[in-house]
Amino acid sequence: MSAGGRPVARSVRRSVRRAAQRVRWSARRVLLAWRTSMQLRVTSTAIGFGLLAVMVLSTYLSGAIRDGLFEQRITQVLTESSRSTAQAQTAFNTTSATTTTGVQQLVNDMVRLLQGGGSSGREIFLWRTDPDSASSVLNSSTAPQLSGLITDTLREQTAQGEEQRWQSVSIPEGTGGTVPGVIVGSKVDVPVAGAYELYFLYSLEAEQETLSFMQRVLAIAGVLLIVFLACSTWVNTRQVVKPVQRAAQVAERLADGHLDERLQAKGQDEIATLARSFNEMAESLQDQIQRLDELSTVQRRFVSDVSHELRTPLTTVRMASEMIYENRDDLDPVLKRSAELLSAQLDRFEDLLADLLEISRFDAGAAVLDAEALDLRDVVSAAIDHATPLAVRKDVWVAAYLADGPVTADFDRRRVERVVRNLLVNAIEYAESGPVEVRVASNATAVAVHVRDYGVGMAKDQVAHVFDRFWRADPARARTSGGTGLGLAISLEDALLHGGWLEAWAQPGLGAAFRLTLPRRAGIVLTSSPIELAAGRAPEDVDVDARRTDESGPASLPDITDLPGEEAVADHPTTVVPARELGDHR
Amino acid sequence: MKSRVLVVDDDTALAEMIGLVLKTEGFDPVFCADGDAAIGIFRSTSPDLVLLDVMLPGKDGTEVCRQIRAESGVPVIMLTAKSDTVDVVQGLESGADDYISKPFKPKELVARIRARLRRTDEPAPERLSIGDLEIDVTGHRVTRSGAAISLTPLEFDLLVALARKPWQVFSREVLLEKVWGYRHAADTRLVNVHVQRLRSKIEHDPEVPEIVLTVRGVGYKAGAATT
Repeated sequence: MSAGGRPVARSVRRSVRRAAQRVRWSARRVLLAWRTSMQLRVTSTAIGFGLLAVMVLSTYLSGAIRDGLFEQRITQVLTESSRSTAQAQTAFNTTSATTTTGVQQLVNDMVRLLQGGGSSGREIFLWRTDPDSASSVLNSSTAPQLSGLITDTLREQTAQGEEQRWQSVSIPEGTGGTVPGVIVGSKVDVPVAGAYELYFLYSLEAEQETLSFMQRVLAIAGVLLIVFLACSTWVNTRQVVKPVQRAAQVAERLADGHLDERLQAKGQDEIATLARSFNEMAESLQDQIQRLDELSTVQRRFVSDVSHELRTPLTTVRMASEMIYENRDDLDPVLKRSAELLSAQLDRFEDLLADLLEISRFDAGAAVLDAEALDLRDVVSAAIDHATPLAVRKDVWVAAYLADGPVTADFDRRRVERVVRNLLVNAIEYAESGPVEVRVASNATAVAVHVRDYGVGMAKDQVAHVFDRFWRADPARARTSGGTGLGLAISLEDALLHGGWLEAWAQPGLGAAFRLTLPRRAGIVLTSSPIELAAGRAPEDVDVDARRTDESGPASLPDITDLPGEEAVADHPTTVVPARELGDHR
Repeated sequence: MKSRVLVVDDDTALAEMIGLVLKTEGFDPVFCADGDAAIGIFRSTSPDLVLLDVMLPGKDGTEVCRQIRAESGVPVIMLTAKSDTVDVVQGLESGADDYISKPFKPKELVARIRARLRRTDEPAPERLSIGDLEIDVTGHRVTRSGAAISLTPLEFDLLVALARKPWQVFSREVLLEKVWGYRHAADTRLVNVHVQRLRSKIEHDPEVPEIVLTVRGVGYKAGAATT
């Protein structure tokens, strides 16, 4: 192929491919419509069956009409020819002509006479049977150009038999087409000249026209029938499909929580029965849900009321205890210690009450998000400041890897700081004097903070329970650490309130990791987090590729533009390895 | 001179305990256990500060607060057992300067009371202007083209804090510390509600503020002086 031909071939190939693609698309669309619309399916089937019936019926009818028309015409033609033949024979028998010229004259006259004698136009051929006869009377015909239609077989049969012979022929027309015709032949004796054959050629054009007309009528009737069939099927299925569609819509509305939605139930038919049963079902569902709702409302109110009622006496006790505690140095050692215990346990009691109230607020759906645009790094820094005294006390090194650029998102400062504080305190508590690492990063859609410790860790089945209320990994430890057991449960609720994630990872001996991921703005559905869960630092003795934590993230989000700090991940430390791999290398 | 504090609370044990704490701290407490009687006792004792429980027999705390505000700018601190946003905001909108949720520590209560009673030490006469307002700091007066605008002491302090450093943006936390005297980050809803109240008094159109401007994601700042 020449160099110039290649682009042409390529463009042809391309357009073929495009056409094929287009065909595939439309085929898929049709297929989809077929699969999803019962109405379309039923109507198409009805049209298919209708077409078949019309075709069979019209084939039969058209055949019967053709045969009938032909039979009738043939009978008429044979009668006419036989009468004309007899008339000609009588004329020949009674002629006074004796000369060749006279006979020739008679023959010519006869042929012309016979042509006009029939019911409709016909052509006449009068041919001498023996071509070798000495007679000089010539053959005579009204349409010599059609003489080729009379076959030798017909001539032989006519010459031999006494009766009439007939044969169907196609008569060529001036326009190039043909019309059906019939040739009838019989023997006549011509005086002087001897044995002759008389042929009549009849055209069946009128019959053909009648037949065509009948076929046209049949075709129109068939088309009308099919259109009518299609319409009636479409309407009929619609009557059935419409209520079903309506029922599906109402069911969907019910599922969306619009429990007052009902179907219209008119009449006594099956559809009305369906609607009534459907409505009964919806009614009973609504009742059940309402009962459950009331029950849980009562329960939540009770928890909330109890918490509130406890607060006033608790305040008095708290103040009294504080007064005693302030003056504990004036008391004897037993009373002094009692005052200290009283004060410390009141703190714990208060924390527990506050957490219970917070949980009851989540359960009641009364938790409100007070979101504003903030930098997650500021909040994390504040939480670290808060946790520093505990870290110092526990001799735990807290390393913060905050992103270089701003990590802004819309969130509730109070809640997020509470979550981070909680994660930090937990990590420090369980770090076993190992380091605690805090990471902050962002991508186009989300911001995340990741808290990792290298302490005792947890077994897999324990990780599954860390967000359960009052669940503790190590019941013995709980008494010393003094948490309420509700911290992570509240943190999870806080994360969910933001439409975010709070995930946990842990392995015995390798430590634990918690990751909070928040969408940058309300309405963003999270698909990935900017930090890998259980990300950690690589130990010196393991040679692994430097790996950025940020690998995932939706490729494009058209409604979010000019977000600052995209892909902002701290450059130091650069080597971040998932702890799972870390474990494999050890 | 001892500051007089009116304690309006129907829980007698708590009221007595608060009284004990206040006495130790050098205040002069007076008591009222009923919402309907509160305004009468307020008038007869003319306290320097009111501690007001939200849940009271008779008129509730927010109603009492509204009555007090109608005739006086005396600082009001609400005591509330409910820290849900709606309750707190309702209390603040009725005119309370601050709120403290139960259970609280005595020190916390005293610190809040002291912060509200704190008066600026008599400074040199100071006049500020913000927007089209004239502020006489020493005389505690705010005027717009000669006409005085009545503000509570807290609202006045908030406005002065902003006007002293025009074009500096104050975060809610900084305002809490400057105006309310909180050391640690506390409920920033306080700031939001009081900024709304302040705007309703000083702005031409509170929906389109020109004097106290919001800086999204940061806080508030004063508008330009036009006079």
